[in-house]
Amino acid sequence: MTTNFYIPEDHAPLPPKSAEIITTACDYCIVGCGYNVYRWPLEVANGGDKAHQNAFGVDFPTYALQAWVAPSQHNVIMHEGKPHNIVIVPDKGNKHVNKNGDSSMRGGLLAQKPYNPKTGTRDRLTQPLMRIGGQLQPVPWDFALDVAAEVGSYVRKTHGDNAYGVKTFSYQYIENTYAVTKYALRHINTANFSFHDTPSDVTSTPGFRDAGFDNFAPSYDDWANADTLMVCGTDPYETKTVLFTQFMMPAILGGMKTVILNPRETAGIAFMKKHGGLHLDVNPGSDNLVLGAILKVIMKNDWQDKEWIDKWVNNKWESDSGFGQGTRNTPWQWRTTWGKFQTKGFEDYKKWVFAQKEYEPEYAAKVAGIDVDKIYKAAEMMAKPKADGSRVKTSIAIEKGFYWSNNTGNTNAISSLATLVGAGGRPGQMVGRLGGHQRGGLGGGKLPRNKSPEKVPGRRRRALDTDRWTYSGHTRFAHVIGTTWIQSMAGSQGLQKKFWELVTTNPHQVYSYDKQEIIDTLKKRADSGGMVVINQDIYLRDPIGAKFADIVFPAAGWGEDNFIRANGERRLRLYQKFNDAPGQAKPDWWIISQLAKRMGFDGFDWKNSNDVAEEASRFSRGSRKDFHMVKIAAHKEGKTLHEKLKEFGTDGIQGPVFYNYDTNKLVGTKRLHDTELLNDKVRLKEMGLENGPKGANVLGKKLTHFNSQTGKINLQKHPWSLFSDFYEWLTPKDDELWFSNGRINEIWQSGFDDVERRAYTIQRWPENWVEINPEDAKKRGIESGDQVMMYSDRVAAFKDTILGVHGDDFQFSSLMKNGHIELSKGAVTAVAMVTPCVKKGVLYANMMDMRQPSNSLTARVVDNISGNYNFKMGVASIRKLGESKYKSEFRSFSFAPRNIT
Amino acid sequence: MSKINSNDLDPRDDAIEHGKCMVSRREFLVYSGVSAATTVVAVSLFPGIANASPIDARITNYPRKKIAKLSQLKNNQVFDFNYPDNGPNSQAMLVKADIECGGGVGKQKDVVAFSYMCTHQGGPLMGSYKVTGEHRTVGQCPLHLSTFDIRRHGIIVSGQAYESLPQVLLEVDGDDIYAVGIMGLLFGRTNNLMLG
Repeated sequence: MTTNFYIPEDHAPLPPKSAEIITTACDYCIVGCGYNVYRWPLEVANGGDKAHQNAFGVDFPTYALQAWVAPSQHNVIMHEGKPHNIVIVPDKGNKHVNKNGDSSMRGGLLAQKPYNPKTGTRDRLTQPLMRIGGQLQPVPWDFALDVAAEVGSYVRKTHGDNAYGVKTFSYQYIENTYAVTKYALRHINTANFSFHDTPSDVTSTPGFRDAGFDNFAPSYDDWANADTLMVCGTDPYETKTVLFTQFMMPAILGGMKTVILNPRETAGIAFMKKHGGLHLDVNPGSDNLVLGAILKVIMKNDWQDKEWIDKWVNNKWESDSGFGQGTRNTPWQWRTTWGKFQTKGFEDYKKWVFAQKEYEPEYAAKVAGIDVDKIYKAAEMMAKPKADGSRVKTSIAIEKGFYWSNNTGNTNAISSLATLVGAGGRPGQMVGRLGGHQRGGLGGGKLPRNKSPEKVPGRRRRALDTDRWTYSGHTRFAHVIGTTWIQSMAGSQGLQKKFWELVTTNPHQVYSYDKQEIIDTLKKRADSGGMVVINQDIYLRDPIGAKFADIVFPAAGWGEDNFIRANGERRLRLYQKFNDAPGQAKPDWWIISQLAKRMGFDGFDWKNSNDVAEEASRFSRGSRKDFHMVKIAAHKEGKTLHEKLKEFGTDGIQGPVFYNYDTNKLVGTKRLHDTELLNDKVRLKEMGLENGPKGANVLGKKLTHFNSQTGKINLQKHPWSLFSDFYEWLTPKDDELWFSNGRINEIWQSGFDDVERRAYTIQRWPENWVEINPEDAKKRGIESGDQVMMYSDRVAAFKDTILGVHGDDFQFSSLMKNGHIELSKGAVTAVAMVTPCVKKGVLYANMMDMRQPSNSLTARVVDNISGNYNFKMGVASIRKLGESKYKSEFRSFSFAPRNIT
Repeated sequence: MSKINSNDLDPRDDAIEHGKCMVSRREFLVYSGVSAATTVVAVSLFPGIANASPIDARITNYPRKKIAKLSQLKNNQVFDFNYPDNGPNSQAMLVKADIECGGGVGKQKDVVAFSYMCTHQGGPLMGSYKVTGEHRTVGQCPLHLSTFDIRRHGIIVSGQAYESLPQVLLEVDGDDIYAVGIMGLLFGRTNNLMLG
């Protein structure tokens, strides 16, 4: 850990001409900016100020936008056991992402990430640990793996596959996620499996999926080529920073208009407003109503894109058709057997919207707490034809503030809005997510959903909710990979208490030196209804590792092995190894392979990460990041997959990747659902697709059509009533305020290692914070810098694994009536920031400070239909505890509002 | 190059001239726990902290340059100067913020100075000083929108820069304000004093 004594340096070394240049991309956010690592041995002199003396080839001092090395961009690392200097800076030559070397603060500080015991990284996990006598003690790899595999196998055999729970990251490189899913889903074959951001293995955006939209269909250029860009539930400068500065911002300066739905105004939103943007500062969770009202206004005025709808929206017969198996087996029907979403096409949908009283603009505006004129203005900006009758080109981008507040209702509504304004399948007219983490998931197995004991009303089993399953004591062996699990799930303090009951208070604890006795003790723990926990991570996490894990495996990550991953426009790059992993730390794929072999599974004999990637490539076929053809091309040229991808440097190549057998070139895909591609003979020829796919190429439906049963869009209803009972119950009472949470530019997708370990970052954000509107603050006597307590007596938690029989069994009011909801207390402290940036009546706190987790106050109740948490929804009271030290000193924190332009 | 905007200052007070004929590169303790032995700067930069946890003193050779007179300053009016030399990226601002600032000098401890070059990609921050209630900021940078809090040693408020805005350390002698050092590296330089 670092201290918050940030003392800026006033000098930095330049890499010499002889420095090696190793390409990579940032480890953090979805945008995945390209970076160069300059590496030179300590004994080689640093570069000089003259162009011919340094690796950048420029004279220093340099001017704006030229190369520069900030002191925080230099570090000393071990490479092949020898100390080397490194400088990590954005690649000035990058042409497609962080063009000309733009960077966020998070990426700009990447040089601080590698292990160096002189820095805040000194607490990296460097050897396997086992809890003996209550303390985590170093043990050899074989010892730790033998115990874990033996106990894991025993739990499966004795208590069933679903007793083996796997909670894992979904994104930390395709080699690792492939290995983890192959192990957990194909071999362990457990339904007790979920990723870091949801309790069940379900889609994040059910509305997109059911309409037929891929989350990441648009290219970054599309976000800069609209006339009107709608952004819901995020400030694309706060998060997605470089996507904003390199694509959206120049477009906005050039006249692109913006419509933003977000309860909070930060730097990017302030900038957009200054340049003609319309900000709808809605109350948390009210988006569905506002969108419904906008849709109503558009259709009342007959502004919808008729040609697009005629050509691309499913009519009655089409929406009923399946894959030759009838309606029941189309994926989107699984969630909607009660006819709540399906329409018979546009006219039917229009009739439904007109009949919804809550979509009257006046009513929607009132619940959302906005000026009703904004609803009419938004409809005009997005859909009103221009004076010459031509259409406005509109694109729509969404992110978590939006889809984690009424997951199904909001994503269904936005899909219908997109379709009505003609967004989805043309340049500058797209709909998609802007993204969070990068896209590094690759399925090595399929969730055995039919083994899930949970069933929704109707016909289908639902992916198992691993939190409720664990809460009920059914997880006997928890295998946690690169996630905190507890703080990152909703209602986290209740979860933590349950972990403590299952793990710590169980009488069977290890106090032995003998391997067999240790194994026997842990088996007894599982047999007695308790839980054994193993954890793979790069740092020891509290509480999952520090308090609960019986065994901790040290993982190697970014820069410590060669890995593949894609960004938010499906751009695949090789993230190269440039330094030694600390101590005995090993990549997750290796740890998994060792466990798998001990458990008797075949197919885990990989020698290196390229072996894993080459095995995995065929499972990417047809997916948005299909890179199988990169391997085909590589092998034709006598190279490995990793070697071939490395040739694409920091620009990479956009998936799905095609191989042109005539030109022997690999060609990427600019956008999915590209309805104009089939008319573009030049591009088709370049991709080698003139006469359809050749050789091993796979031409998926999503390339030129939508991901639905017909290739056309399902126009869906989005009833408020599925969510309204929860919304009404949750709405703040008495002195409560809405409690929402989210990210900030300086910490975004980087909280897992950089916040606590970079003096610069921790001095800016030394602890949890909460934004409160000046009016709300004044009433409670709260000033900026005060230490406050946020608390609630009614943190709702859905606790049971149930079989739904009747239509409304999963509806919040039914769960409440039937005793499946438990109300508990939650309390979190924070430093108050009084600011007009946040809407009156709303608190906005850090999405996750691991020490003071916001999720203590969010409802552990999943979306009725999808099974996701609505993480952005909670209520809390707030009171002043006293003054924090930041109120009176100038060293750290800043209470200046984030919307100064 | 930023123009020195004072009419009253003798041109010989320009950094280089001053350095040549007057003090000529005195040794200066930028950070020190021994407050008595040094200047007001070291005391006010880290109140309470330096004494609690002594930090190694760093001795550097910054020029001592006369910038302005306290009596000339008007609240929240920015005063431009160059430091530590007149070379590239030496443009800086001095302001009397009318509220106590970290590292501030003068009776109210409200006089501070900062580099004008954004530490992200060197964007010019001239003309972006703002008063918002009790807050004093510089930015948004025209290139990528970073903003800095000048009451808090140039810490980032929001944005992309990976170093705080370099703070020019000040010293008061009677009515005269001197620039005596820089905390942080100026954009584009490898060393603040690289131009000699």
